[in-house]
Amino acid sequence: MIRQPIQLRTRIVISVLSILAMFVAYEAIAMRQSRINPKQTVVPGITSLWDGIQKMTTPNRRGETWLVEDVKATYGRLFLGLGLGIGLSIIIGVAMGAYPWVEAFFVPAVSFFAKIPPTAMLAVYFVLFGTKTEMFVAMVGLSVFFTLAQSIYQVAKKDVSDHSVFKAYSLGATSPEVIYEVLWKQILPRVIESIRLQIGPAMVFLIAAEYVVGDVGIGYRIRIQSRILNMNVVYIYLVMLGGSGLLMDWSLTQLRRKLCPWFGE
Amino acid sequence: MLKPILYFSVAGLMLAAGCSKSAPSTSGGGSTSAPGSTPTFSLAWSEYPSWSVFGVAHEKGIIDGEEGKLGPIEEKWGVDIVLKEADYDTCLTYFGSSETDAVCITNMDTLAPSLSRDAVAILPTSTSVGADACIAVGIDSLDGLKGKPTYGLEMSVSQYCFERNLELQGKTIADYPFKNMDPGAAAQAMQSNQADIESIMVWNPFVMQTLRTRDGAKVIFDSSTIPEEIIDMVVIGKDALAKEGGEAFAGAIVEAFYEVNKMMADSTTGDDTLIAIGQKFSSLSLEEMKEVVKQTRFYGTPEAALALLTSEKFQNETMPQVSSFCESHGIVASKPVIGFNKDDAQFNFTTKFIEAAKAK
Repeated sequence: MIRQPIQLRTRIVISVLSILAMFVAYEAIAMRQSRINPKQTVVPGITSLWDGIQKMTTPNRRGETWLVEDVKATYGRLFLGLGLGIGLSIIIGVAMGAYPWVEAFFVPAVSFFAKIPPTAMLAVYFVLFGTKTEMFVAMVGLSVFFTLAQSIYQVAKKDVSDHSVFKAYSLGATSPEVIYEVLWKQILPRVIESIRLQIGPAMVFLIAAEYVVGDVGIGYRIRIQSRILNMNVVYIYLVMLGGSGLLMDWSLTQLRRKLCPWFGE
Repeated sequence: MLKPILYFSVAGLMLAAGCSKSAPSTSGGGSTSAPGSTPTFSLAWSEYPSWSVFGVAHEKGIIDGEEGKLGPIEEKWGVDIVLKEADYDTCLTYFGSSETDAVCITNMDTLAPSLSRDAVAILPTSTSVGADACIAVGIDSLDGLKGKPTYGLEMSVSQYCFERNLELQGKTIADYPFKNMDPGAAAQAMQSNQADIESIMVWNPFVMQTLRTRDGAKVIFDSSTIPEEIIDMVVIGKDALAKEGGEAFAGAIVEAFYEVNKMMADSTTGDDTLIAIGQKFSSLSLEEMKEVVKQTRFYGTPEAALALLTSEKFQNETMPQVSSFCESHGIVASKPVIGFNKDDAQFNFTTKFIEAAKAK
């Protein structure tokens, strides 16, 4: 029978096994590669990953620690971009869901640009925003904005019934009150959910941009280090990306549960 | 209750074991023209004037880059050459991860992979004499560049050429910041008049492109000051060379390279061959290609190649210098042992196959 519940203990055992399986699979690939070439560094064994960790946490001659510099740069760009993109898309998205004339104005541009991967128009971003922090922030911000504005306006329009809107009006609410008390509060959990789904793509675009034009940041380090086959550094960065993604995911889910307990899981 | 867990873990282990068993095989299956016993070897190349030669050799029917098919040179040597075209950085990874037997690579970029896979340079194909250049806009001289960032690929021949030129002019390297940017992107940024990109250090075709497209772009210095320091080459893994047919593979590559060079030198087929190379290399015209091959000076004959590899300067000055640069810039953790006709060196330059081609 499907959906048969399992005990918590069993669940934990299975999860631990799954993590173990990942390690086993990684070691197996590393061993296979070592059989082809014993001196290989392309898939370093788990032990030599430790050297990678040391390399990225020891300050270099200029007193810079790779890990610190890269994390500061990449997450700085990410959060600034996310903040701008989310803020803008909430304002425009809600307005589009509330007023058909705003909707009519923004729909063509928003739905069109939401479909273009920003990395494909890197050159356009250069021309518009240069090659410094502004460019990375703009790329993250705009990529988030177009997709998020679209999904926010969809839920604001469709997930809030006319019934509740008109009820609020007949009880004497003003338009701003209806927007905040009725529209916004009802769509908030879905907005958080959409934001959560946008972090992944935003990170993809950011890393890709750093890969090409960055002089610091996770994408830059991955490119330069994999070029000289220092894969033990690269893999640690990948693990870090996975971990930070999970953390952000989890935080947003917690935020949603706290702000909108009525929404359920 | 525990049964499904058991299934899953067994399946997981089987998967892992399966991975470890399936070592890549390079046998030419289902070929019609190559008999099953012909050993197969791969050469990874990226678009660069003296490496596109191999693409042209395939087009002109001198070799057949497809697996299972043999061109005349492959038949003569009894070896099947498989050409793999990829981005330059990808070629480096191919070589480092033993995904290819041979690779088109520069002398400098060979140092890092040679630490984990012994490398044998069998053939220098060209040297950069102006093909790497520092281009600036609104800056007239090296002194004007002081304090301003130059954009180019870090830890690459660009940075090497940049610092060597500063050194030759007696400048302090710390005064001239070098910032990382992909050469294609740097060229694009300069060509689209980005205000904050005043100086870039890139290689061809980006040098030509930028000078052609951006008004006021000026070469501050280029690699013509350091001829025979940046060498484009073909490198084989020592493991691949030791395999059955490995030496024949090396011989066939060297011969194919000189065959195309003969066609370039011949007055009846020369332009045609250049055009073919130009098409492979960023669609350049014949005139532009004539310029390009001046800046990327080919080692078109065995004699030219031997002159480089046996020169005192290259052996005792250039390579140690490149090696020191790599060590001081963190490209290699320790210097690999470089040798000339020394089979036990980690990075060995051999003249064996060039001499064989010369004797013929």
